[in-house]
Amino acid sequence: MSDTSTDNTSISTSVPLVQMTDVGKSYGAVRAIKGINLTVRAGEVTCVLGDNGAGKSTLIKIMAGLHNHNEGTMSISGVETTFASPRDALGAGIATVYQDLAVVGLMETWRNFFLGAELVGSKLPFSGLRVREMKEIADEELRKMGVVVKDIDQPIGTLSGGQRQCVAIARAVYFGAKVLILDEPTAALGVKQSGVVLKYTAAARDAGLGVVFITHNPHHAYMVGDHFIILKLGQTVLDKRRDEVELDELTRQMAGGDELTELSHELKALGGMTNAIRTLDADLNIK
Amino acid sequence: MHLTSPRRLAIVGASAAALALMLSACSSGGAQSTASSSGSSCKGTTYTISMVTHEAPGDTFWDKIRAGAETAAKNECVKLVYSADPAADKQAQLIQTAVDSKVDGIATTLATPDPLAGSVKAATAAGIPVVAFNSGIDAYKKLGALEYFGSDETLAGQTVGDRLTADGIKHPLCVIQAAGSVALEARCAGVKAKNSGTENIQVNGSDDSAVVSSIQAKLTQDPSIDAIVTLGAPIAMDALKSKTAANSKATLVTFDLNVDAAQAIKDGKIEFSVDQQPYVQGYMAVTALYLYLKNGNDLGGGGPVLTGPSYVDKTNIDKILPFAKNNTR
Amino acid sequence: MSQETRVAPRVTPSDASNRVTLGWSHRLLRRPDFAAAVAAAVILVFFLVVAPSFRSPDSIFTVLYQSSTIGIVAVAVGMLMIGGEFDLSAGVMVTTAGLVNALFSYYLGVNLIIGAVISLLFCLAIGFLNGYLVMRTGIPSFLITLGSFFVLQGANLGVTKLVSGAVSSPDISKMGGFGVLSSFFAGSFVVGGVTVWNTVIFWILFVAISGWVLQRTRVGNWIYAVGGNAASARAVGVPVRRVKIGLFMTVSFLSWFVGMHSLYRFNTLQAGNGVGNEFLYIIAAVVGGTLMTGGYGNALGVAIGAFIFGMTSLGIVFAGWDPNWFRTFLGVMLVLAVLMNLYIKKLSTTRKVG
Repeated sequence: MSDTSTDNTSISTSVPLVQMTDVGKSYGAVRAIKGINLTVRAGEVTCVLGDNGAGKSTLIKIMAGLHNHNEGTMSISGVETTFASPRDALGAGIATVYQDLAVVGLMETWRNFFLGAELVGSKLPFSGLRVREMKEIADEELRKMGVVVKDIDQPIGTLSGGQRQCVAIARAVYFGAKVLILDEPTAALGVKQSGVVLKYTAAARDAGLGVVFITHNPHHAYMVGDHFIILKLGQTVLDKRRDEVELDELTRQMAGGDELTELSHELKALGGMTNAIRTLDADLNIK
Repeated sequence: MHLTSPRRLAIVGASAAALALMLSACSSGGAQSTASSSGSSCKGTTYTISMVTHEAPGDTFWDKIRAGAETAAKNECVKLVYSADPAADKQAQLIQTAVDSKVDGIATTLATPDPLAGSVKAATAAGIPVVAFNSGIDAYKKLGALEYFGSDETLAGQTVGDRLTADGIKHPLCVIQAAGSVALEARCAGVKAKNSGTENIQVNGSDDSAVVSSIQAKLTQDPSIDAIVTLGAPIAMDALKSKTAANSKATLVTFDLNVDAAQAIKDGKIEFSVDQQPYVQGYMAVTALYLYLKNGNDLGGGGPVLTGPSYVDKTNIDKILPFAKNNTR
Repeated sequence: MSQETRVAPRVTPSDASNRVTLGWSHRLLRRPDFAAAVAAAVILVFFLVVAPSFRSPDSIFTVLYQSSTIGIVAVAVGMLMIGGEFDLSAGVMVTTAGLVNALFSYYLGVNLIIGAVISLLFCLAIGFLNGYLVMRTGIPSFLITLGSFFVLQGANLGVTKLVSGAVSSPDISKMGGFGVLSSFFAGSFVVGGVTVWNTVIFWILFVAISGWVLQRTRVGNWIYAVGGNAASARAVGVPVRRVKIGLFMTVSFLSWFVGMHSLYRFNTLQAGNGVGNEFLYIIAAVVGGTLMTGGYGNALGVAIGAFIFGMTSLGIVFAGWDPNWFRTFLGVMLVLAVLMNLYIKKLSTTRKVG
């Protein structure tokens, strides 16, 4: 595990890190997603936007190895793959930072950093942890990302939301992730903390990782994204590169697009609440 | 860490519910019921007799009561239905169940007379004869039971107290192995009545190591203790270990018998035992009901029939040891 | 004490480490066993003062023996609770272990050592089953092990009665292998005139192993993780199911160990014994700072919890008081311990760093 850095030199645009083609997933009779095409390239941020229930979680779970897709294909670095477990996905270099961050609040920051990939003295089942080394590495990696915790021994639950997010990202980067999936990293954060997380997202991209950024906030997505996909009811309603799309369009699509425009007109016809509708119109760019 | 997340609360809630469930289940634990039909020599059974006790599961003492009752049932071609629960309200329910199933006779222990009174009266009202045994010597008549077979615990305790005083014992330690048992408290009270230096100690009878350590600690704390009175044979065996560990010279006497205790009396490690002959209690309770149902016979001349206290010591142990091994004494 | 961390001088940016050292009081308070250690010291001093007979080394080792019979199983129960699960079957499993050994060897006439091995396998199988059912069904371990508690309690009585005709196991002290096993599980030796039971040494050994495993090994890290947040642990690749099943089997192993001690010290076992002890193990763990919801606690704390139990249960006797009050005292201790733990956990995990 001493090989810490991701391979910056082999950024290749020819073979995508992850290529999903017509992927679909049904839970019994319920079809969660259908016909999804998604490409993750090294050094790019692919944003997946969508409202609650749009199928974002299902998409993540397939990439993270928690669920298997039952339609279409998923290729990892050009090889068609179905993950058997989250361990498999991790082994293939796909690291996921979940909304709950997959950290254990009461455990020390350094233990969380190495959780599931601890440094041990030997292969024997109960051999000692290399505690000092782990503490040093965790501290150093965090400082590389500009996160300074007062005490690497403090329970991670005592860190701020943004700091915890950064520990989770730093952990993924350190353990050689090629693809980083961020599940709504800014959802629970305030403006300032969100900014910090977006900065680290960009840092991870610049370090050569392929980032999948899941969010329902088009503003955050547009700040870091290279490619945008909007899901609605399990299907793709927008799939554009950054140079093909404006923030306004993302916002409009996210806000519900034509349906919401219609709703706005209906409300107008009913009268009242004009201020709110005006704001809504402004958001939707209805002239 | 989401200590207050709904899921976590749900788990805590479920655990609390489970705890409540378990506590209630614990207090109802031990309800057991078995029917032993008569031996092969019988052509059909004569009567159905229900025996209800306050047995706590796993006490060797009750084995002998059941052995006696079952032998009697076999001899007299009686169908014996045995059930037991240490909780008074559950035992009352078991008696009520016997009344409802219209058995011919009921033999029951009356360790807790007041809670059982209702069910016993229901039985006599339904014309079912009731015989009390083992405990309830002061209450059986009031409740309407015909006869009583058992020992007088207070008397038994007093006999022990007398004998200890006669032996020059100044400071006996009376070991109570179950909290809140009227019969056990009565025994120790009896000892104290005749030997005022008596001190009680409460131990956890379901954990042998704890019994040994507690008695050992007491012996260390108070070297003036010159006798240990245990109220059950297994506890006597634990007390032997405590004596050795604490280097105590105290005399050991016990209530009740089992094989190990009988052997210890023979080896001189236990001074004597005050036996209440549980086998006889079980045997006679069933037999008395049989005789009453068949011939209208009555035992005891209107008073209790005492099965104890019966002394077992060096003088008669040779005769008794084989019977103890046989589970009949 | 939070003030100390705030006023700690900031290191200069050129410094190799950006860390600051937190105050020693904060570090001490953050230990799960801190409150228990303070309580144990207070109780120890208290009994030393009020009970003259408590002061002899003999008495102290009697207390340690009493603590060890609870403490050995509590070591495993504590680890299991850190891993976020309960085992209510541990108390009766102690009796089951002894009964299986005694009945198997006595009625089949095989050497006791073989019976002990059979008993061990049997207990491990029950532990595995407990863990497997909990992981497989997702039903809280409280309920699953409550089920196995009742099953074992009934089977202890039923099977013993069926096989031996009585409700206690036959005396096995004349059988082959008794000497070896009893000197191992139930032996004692004298040091400077003081009798030391082997179980005390084993207890210390198991506590040390447990402490090492929890703090210094990968498995220990995983135990805290599965107890603190099983979903997160699974997401980073911790084999949650294997860890938890392993913990249940550890409990059954140490229950077996104490069961062997009981059998070889007392030669026979009453089939109804052991009921209620499961709570003493849990109490020892909780008093020792283990969090009921998992993810927090340590081996030393659980050991101190068991020691507090042994000390009070015998201390009251040594002081010559009415032992009827012991349970009341135990209940008060438990509530105080839980409150103290809650308070300390709040203190140590409140956010101090922006």
